[in-house]
Amino acid sequence: MSKSDVVVIGNGVAGLMAALVSADEGKKVTLLSYGAGTFPLNSGVIDILGYDDAGKAVDSPIEGIGKLAENHPYKKIGVAAIQDSVEFFKRTVAGEGFPYTGSLKEQQWLVTSVGTLKPTCLLPESLEASDCFKAHEIVIVGVKGLKDFYVDMVKENLAKELGEDKRYTTVTVDTYITGRDLTTRDVARWVESDKGYGEFLAQVKGQAGVGKVVIVPQILGTKGDYTVYNRLVKDLGCSVVETTGMPPSVNGIRLRDVLLSALKKKGIRVIENAKAEKAIVKGDVVTAIEAGGEIRSQVYEADKFILATGGFYSGGITMRDFGEYKEMVFGLPVEGDCTEEKWVNKQLFSDKKQAFAMAGVRVDSSLRAVDDSGNVVLKNVYVVGRNLSGYDFCFEHSGNGVALSSAYKAARA
Amino acid sequence: MELEERARDSADNCIACTSCIAACPVTAANPEYKGPKLVGPAHSRMHFSDPSDYEDTLMLCSNCKNCDITCPNGVSVSTLNMLERAKYLQAHPEAHKPEDEMLSHGFKMANMLNSIPFGKQLANLGMSIGEATGMMGIMGMAPRKTPRYASTYFRDMFKKIKQPSSDKKVLFFPGCYIDTNDPEVGVAFVKVMNENGYEVLMDDRFVCCGSPLVVGGYLDEARNHADTNVAVIQEYARKNIPVIACCTSCSLMLKTEYTELFAQSEMKEAAKNVWDAFEFLARLDYEGKLKKVSIKSDHKFIYHAPCHLRAQGIGLPALDLLEKAGLNIVNADAGCCGISGSYGFHKDNYETSMKVGQKLFDAINGDNYHKVVCDCGTCRMQIEHGTDTKAIHPIRILAKAYKKS
Repeated sequence: MSKSDVVVIGNGVAGLMAALVSADEGKKVTLLSYGAGTFPLNSGVIDILGYDDAGKAVDSPIEGIGKLAENHPYKKIGVAAIQDSVEFFKRTVAGEGFPYTGSLKEQQWLVTSVGTLKPTCLLPESLEASDCFKAHEIVIVGVKGLKDFYVDMVKENLAKELGEDKRYTTVTVDTYITGRDLTTRDVARWVESDKGYGEFLAQVKGQAGVGKVVIVPQILGTKGDYTVYNRLVKDLGCSVVETTGMPPSVNGIRLRDVLLSALKKKGIRVIENAKAEKAIVKGDVVTAIEAGGEIRSQVYEADKFILATGGFYSGGITMRDFGEYKEMVFGLPVEGDCTEEKWVNKQLFSDKKQAFAMAGVRVDSSLRAVDDSGNVVLKNVYVVGRNLSGYDFCFEHSGNGVALSSAYKAARA
Repeated sequence: MELEERARDSADNCIACTSCIAACPVTAANPEYKGPKLVGPAHSRMHFSDPSDYEDTLMLCSNCKNCDITCPNGVSVSTLNMLERAKYLQAHPEAHKPEDEMLSHGFKMANMLNSIPFGKQLANLGMSIGEATGMMGIMGMAPRKTPRYASTYFRDMFKKIKQPSSDKKVLFFPGCYIDTNDPEVGVAFVKVMNENGYEVLMDDRFVCCGSPLVVGGYLDEARNHADTNVAVIQEYARKNIPVIACCTSCSLMLKTEYTELFAQSEMKEAAKNVWDAFEFLARLDYEGKLKKVSIKSDHKFIYHAPCHLRAQGIGLPALDLLEKAGLNIVNADAGCCGISGSYGFHKDNYETSMKVGQKLFDAINGDNYHKVVCDCGTCRMQIEHGTDTKAIHPIRILAKAYKKS
């Protein structure tokens, strides 16, 4: 309960990055976590901007950002902070032995677990899929008993995406694990064991070869490193590409572990199961957060607070009744259409953004909340990630990008 | 009075995000276990199904609470598992394992032995013989050292401790393990509280917190224990005397699990008067009331945070205080130790238990640590079983430091 320089509330991508960058500034940081963050649901790749306002694919994220509306978070964060945040992230994960590839200039491509191609900006080397375009044969590896990865569906969709002029073959390996239905994490654990790797390799090797690309679900180890990936590329003698996966996302958890490891090295305290309940406010300054269980709260004092509670998706912002959005820790002003008729677009897969997704805390270019007249509400509270208003991350594919860059900006402020 | 919100209702907050499956140490170690989401929230949502309807891997849950810690939506996942388990075992008493009775009712045996001359010594001898001859295995016990009875229980030691009297009083909830197996922890607690101007009280009406009863499916008995303890806690609450436990599983039970399991508002009220020992000391420190203490040691220590402490949402107060006092100590940060109370003492769970603990064992074996520091008694047993390093309760380090100064 001793005083920190910075208290970060929330442990998703935005929260962990805000804590890391704050520590990089030499600050004493306490991170309040409640639940596992979004990582088990997170691809762990960094989409900066996949699609523009009209839903058209963006070739260059940095150019796409220039064309966004003025109230978009990226416009408030600014290009310089976005660039620096990408560099900081790449340095951090590389320092942990899990380098990401990609740049703001052009999109990278990955294969999803249903066999579609998806643009992204930064991604682990094992997910980078550009070799698929030039390969003459795509070998899709399924796993017996693994739910949510169907080789025939992947094959059919990939043939549509990459063209019928390639050969598409499939192979299904057996883990010989008995018990429950398998998840990708179970298979990843098997593949990273010596015995499992040997069994896996023996069943795939015959299909691989020069000029081919072997597509596997997210099973090349649970850890945020490339030990299994590098070994497999060498042993198969061709490109290997991991797809994204269904929850629990192996790669999301790899990224979390890597970021937590970096956090630990910087001496950042993570307080688990500590839901932020209440802010202690003096005038326009917050002096402490009360967090913890139902029985009694602990008091966490600091000079600066970064709110990374995940917005409408993660309970950082709620709507008990139509017309009443509420930011749960500080009661910050939330903007967005929340009438019963307009808060949701019922055509879930249409080309329209969702009003509820656009809702969030209204901030200025310092990422502090502002009232209707544009005055800063709480001088030492910064808002990051999904709490920000003005963007629909599902629609435009910008979730981790906004999380990363807003966290960076807030921590440097 | 019944509370509106019950653990069972919290099942409907589950969005099936799978965070708990990813965090569950038993799921990682044992491919048979379907995982907390499927066993607790999903199965217990079948409110209207037949009581004999049963998820057959329900017994594999260790109640370590990593699912609760990881859940973003406040679902009491492990408690749902325990409620389901109790419901099933009530309908199917024949499904109890032979060792359940003994492992859930350790307090009965401990009390009985205390009334027999040389009872404890003979029981310890019996355990040594039983372990050596394999009898314990036949009784369903894991191949590990069963905790030995202390020659004098803490309840008896306490009567001989001379304390300075004080207006500031706390009531100690010793819990079974400290009382009957590791009384030095209780002695150290009294020393530390005395140094800080508190007089420590004991109340013989306290019974086992009930945690081993819950995991064994004896929910009605656990409810009786809860009612007994809650009445005592409330009596002291009226006198403004806080209740403090040095065992993090006991403090979690009294603070949170009674209310989750039995949903009585009295339990929630009583919980407000219960503290974990280092939570209390950290609060004193925060208020500037903790007597200064400085630890001088050339040795390097490693701290293991019990899951049942992590679930309390109070951070790691023992690690913070020891570090502040100058101890050279690192946080192992290696997850669950695998024993989870009585779980790892079941023969059938032994392999899983040791597999879960491997990461912690590796962290401890990885460097030349003098001792492991840990607030939980069964974690300490598991650590000493899985490594060659001694494990002690942090309060003993603090007591020693006060003694030296």
